[in-house]
Amino acid sequence: MEYLSLFVKSIFVDNMIFAYFLGMCSFLAVSKNVKTAAGLGVAVIFVLLVTLPINYLLNRFVLAPDALIPGVDLSFLSFIVFIAVIAAIVQVVEMVVEKFSPELYSSLGIFLPLIAVNCAILGGSLFMQQKDFGNLGEATVYALGSGLGWFLAIVALAAIREKMAYSNVPAALKGLGITFITVGLMGIAFMTFMGIQL
Amino acid sequence: MNAKLKETILNPIFKGNPITVLVLGICSSLAVTVTLKGALVMALSVIVVCGISSLILSMLRNTIPGRVRIIVQLVVVAMMVILVDQILKSFEATYAIDKQLSVYIGLIITNCIVMGRIEAFALGNKPWPSFLDGVSNGAGYGLILLIVAFFRELLGSGTLFGVDVLNWMGYVPNNLVILPPFALILLGCIVWVQRSIQKDLQEK
Amino acid sequence: MNTNNNIYTVVYTSVIVVVVAALLAFVSQSLKSRQQANEKADTISQMLTAAGFGTKAEFQKIGNAAVLDKYAQEIAEAFIVNPEGEKVADLPLDEVYSPSQLKAQNYKLKGSDVPELPVFVFKNGLTVVPVYGAGLWGPVWGYVAFEEDGVTIKGAYFDHESETAGLGARIKDDPAFQAEFQGENADWEADVKVFEIVKGGSPKNADGSEIMDNRIDAITGATMTSIGLENAIQTWLKGYSKYFSSKEQPAPAEEAAEEVTEE
Repeated sequence: MEYLSLFVKSIFVDNMIFAYFLGMCSFLAVSKNVKTAAGLGVAVIFVLLVTLPINYLLNRFVLAPDALIPGVDLSFLSFIVFIAVIAAIVQVVEMVVEKFSPELYSSLGIFLPLIAVNCAILGGSLFMQQKDFGNLGEATVYALGSGLGWFLAIVALAAIREKMAYSNVPAALKGLGITFITVGLMGIAFMTFMGIQL
Repeated sequence: MNAKLKETILNPIFKGNPITVLVLGICSSLAVTVTLKGALVMALSVIVVCGISSLILSMLRNTIPGRVRIIVQLVVVAMMVILVDQILKSFEATYAIDKQLSVYIGLIITNCIVMGRIEAFALGNKPWPSFLDGVSNGAGYGLILLIVAFFRELLGSGTLFGVDVLNWMGYVPNNLVILPPFALILLGCIVWVQRSIQKDLQEK
Repeated sequence: MNTNNNIYTVVYTSVIVVVVAALLAFVSQSLKSRQQANEKADTISQMLTAAGFGTKAEFQKIGNAAVLDKYAQEIAEAFIVNPEGEKVADLPLDEVYSPSQLKAQNYKLKGSDVPELPVFVFKNGLTVVPVYGAGLWGPVWGYVAFEEDGVTIKGAYFDHESETAGLGARIKDDPAFQAEFQGENADWEADVKVFEIVKGGSPKNADGSEIMDNRIDAITGATMTSIGLENAIQTWLKGYSKYFSSKEQPAPAEEAAEEVTEE
């Protein structure tokens, strides 16, 4: 039950895009059509699912006060360690996918370098550290939930943008401008989830 | 100063603005634009970090192995930001400044403008132009931050830099403006204005 | 030189990582004592602000040494209690709990172990206790000062690591928000919320007086920070509830009389 509420909460209430506005850059840049948006969304879920549990274990057994050597607090290194882990894993995943599944690589591959600098991924790890999850299972569920939330958001925006191609938007507002405004309105709509306590 | 350097400095401020044209650094521009003071602190930090990390990585550019360049870039940027934070924290005079800044440390490291400019410019250019490119991109980013923050603080709190401007005449602050989505709507309007002036940026 | 060579890549990455880690570790270790001294003075000035001895800006102006002097003048005793309200150990008078120490106790408070809860009693009878929890982006913490009766809140001061400037950061920057705590009461009964931060604050009587005196108004636009701060206050004050309710008992008659006059 706790897992379920954590899962639902991380998708809707703690939505990475609409509650925290993390990962906006790639969110805006890669949402022109649903197919590529879904590709990036899947890549984000995947990378979150891999990096977050690893960072959880690192945080618990290396970085936390007294974890590695009694009396030593390594938490000042957490930023650098998390970032390095994410960048390294993205690179490894890219190489593995390229080697073993060229098909998947051609659809997912171009997004992987983008993800290393996606703040939703680093944000996930930092929130994990702050939320003090009790075990690996909670951290994994949280990773899956926030990844799905991100996926949901980008696919929704891409669908709206596809429809908008047929609308009569002022020339100067076309593309980026109207997208900013659309995301703003979607954000206001998503705020209704904020008050829900699970 | 030759024309190319001048172009490097002026381009990011308007024509190639990192936020409204390159779409970089959006996350942080939502978080820090509720007050003008916060926007100013963030703008100055990004100018400094972006300039210096472009300089350092441009000096290292010929030694960095292509496959691990993203890790190297991130590590250098993060190290620099953490170093500055640690040093500011250890002096009585600067401790208060550091407490103001510490809020933005995470945002500065993950700001994609820093990474984006290193990847796109500093790794292929000499140190001095890279430094200038970093600084002026920081400035272009800061300019947009200040415009957004001006409207959000004025309409959302009725103040500018914390000084009462509208409240004394009975203005009721608009709480919607304070919420992050409104920053996006404002950014959309800025893009609208910019592209009405510069028609070549318009999308088909 | 071929920079795409595998050996070169591995060696280069290792050298960078080792150099950066060593540099950061060296800087952090060598500056640690200075940072801790600054942090301690900052913590003390927060406690003094909560207890109403001055404002945070004033303490910043007079400098670290003067803040420590002021604290030494005013503090009467400091000790650690357990959640049963029993005193378990004395604290040296010049020792305070840093945010990272509070974090460790916060972890225990949530059920992993028996927490050690610090209590700071001042010569004028005020009792200051810390609270700690998670805000929107990072930890939030602070100090709540109680009058001698152990129920009425004399004042409060909150700090945070990275809440949004102008929104969540108002728990620290907005004196009006902190002033709302003054004169409110904590409700020490076991199964109700000790203190609440809710949109709109307390429901009002027809004459505008507050019906519930353990409720204050949340910050507009900072729902998550408000909830986080409420949880922090709730978790920590719950831990202190036995200590404070045992303090109430010596003067039951006086309190009863007070309630009658209020009605």
